[in-house]
Amino acid sequence: MPRKLRASGRLCSLALAVAVSGGALADEVARAPAQWLERMNQALNTRNYDGTFSHWHGGQVEMLRIIHRVQDGTVSERLASLDGSGREFIRTGASLACYLPDKRTVLVEQRPAQESLVGFPTVNDQTANFYDVREVGRTRLNRRDTHIITVSPKDEYRYGYRLWIDDTTAMPLKTQLCDPHGRVIEQIVFANLTLPARIPDSAFRPEVSTDGFQWLRNGALPPGPQAASLAWNAMRLPPGFRMTVRSAQVLPGSATPVDHLVFTDGFASVSVFVEVQQGQAQPSAVAQSAAVGSSSAYSTVIDGHKITAVGEVPPATVQFIATQVKAQDPAAGAAAPRR
Amino acid sequence: MNEELDSQLSAMFDDELPTAECELLARRLSRDEQLKARWGRYAVVGAVIRAERGVRLNAPLAGRISAVLLAEPSLESIPTAALRRPGMRWWQPLAASGLAAGVAAVSVLWLRTQAPVSAPVTAQLAPASGLHVGALLPARAAGSAQGDSYVVPPTPQIVPVVVPSTELANYVVAHSMFSSPVARRNLLSAFMTSEPAAAPPEEAQSDAKKAAR
Repeated sequence: MPRKLRASGRLCSLALAVAVSGGALADEVARAPAQWLERMNQALNTRNYDGTFSHWHGGQVEMLRIIHRVQDGTVSERLASLDGSGREFIRTGASLACYLPDKRTVLVEQRPAQESLVGFPTVNDQTANFYDVREVGRTRLNRRDTHIITVSPKDEYRYGYRLWIDDTTAMPLKTQLCDPHGRVIEQIVFANLTLPARIPDSAFRPEVSTDGFQWLRNGALPPGPQAASLAWNAMRLPPGFRMTVRSAQVLPGSATPVDHLVFTDGFASVSVFVEVQQGQAQPSAVAQSAAVGSSSAYSTVIDGHKITAVGEVPPATVQFIATQVKAQDPAAGAAAPRR
Repeated sequence: MNEELDSQLSAMFDDELPTAECELLARRLSRDEQLKARWGRYAVVGAVIRAERGVRLNAPLAGRISAVLLAEPSLESIPTAALRRPGMRWWQPLAASGLAAGVAAVSVLWLRTQAPVSAPVTAQLAPASGLHVGALLPARAAGSAQGDSYVVPPTPQIVPVVVPSTELANYVVAHSMFSSPVARRNLLSAFMTSEPAAAPPEEAQSDAKKAAR
């Protein structure tokens, strides 16, 4: 090959390499905020931590404590109200106990092992179609360096987040939930957070005395084919949402099985519960809205079944999804929902 | 109610009533329920005009007010001179505003007592919690609460907290298993901090259902 040609070939290769590496760098920069979210999710799921945080919503502030442990592949978690209702959640593996002193009740939810985290939302390329994920700055919080990551929804079907993620541990030290207009509607700020190597079993015992409490556990599914329970689907969904889980279960204190459908857009998730309406529906019970903090719930009755949608999305989204759920003929097969 | 009184009330609300007349009208406000009701409506209309958050009207009233406001000529289309009364003195607004601020307490109480039962309490003066919430509010949220008013102080957006029944608790717990870690923590924290006293007892709900059947 002539020298001149070889030189120009090298130049081209160099330019190509620069272009490729530049593109990769730009790609890396663009992905960095999403990677922080992945690291945060991983830290929240896999690390041991013990922290006290304030929870603000609707002008009310309460202090709570969270203890999280991963030991021999089993996740244990305890969330307790320090100055309010005295309620506690204690999760051990697939079992979640909810202590409600105000109702003198303990709900115990046992989930089949194979269902654990099947529908867990993940940030992926498709998520970018519905959320704008950015790093908007770095700051010191509780004497720690943090990255401020914003997750802004591109439409009104979902909420956004602002997260202050610790540079060293990837733990979120502060989180704000924002409505589609960017207004903060819920905030969690850690007052202290430690990451101990070992957490004793005693940390996962409830403080509340359960003497005289009613224990409600979810029972086994009644025998027989579950084909009919698989016939529920949403005819239409908000953009980006897809169904990731469909199961039948018996909720604590209930005698009848409930179909549980989970829809997610990769970040937010909505559960839809379908159960046979007991007795005749009262007019007031046909459609009801509720809120648990910033999460929304909507219940309606369709074809003799009570449909309840719950999710960390705006009220209009749970209403939309709940009203789109319809029974399909199992023989016709499950039609793909329109989005 | 005669036109003159109506006009006085309107002028008082706009800080355009002479001090002596303000005092007389304030005394009358304290004993005249009909007049007090009208003052309250002015306060609500004023809040709507200023687009304050925290005031919720029932839909028909809100619709009527919107229709009236849309029919009104915009401020830009009215000559500035027409907005001022002839002979307006510089001290009148200052003097009137002092008294109006005093009377405002009446309208605040009126608004609070007139709130529909089913509507969420949004016109609260201070957070129920003893903690200083303002310090925790983000700059953007605090900044958006513009147009300070003595009638309805700006408050953060309040979503009605519906205390979960056992059934809803079941759904929340079952759903939390499929939420992202951050969303799950938010959801369960909100569940724990919801006010238990507001929940009707399960037995009462059950009785109500039976009675309705």
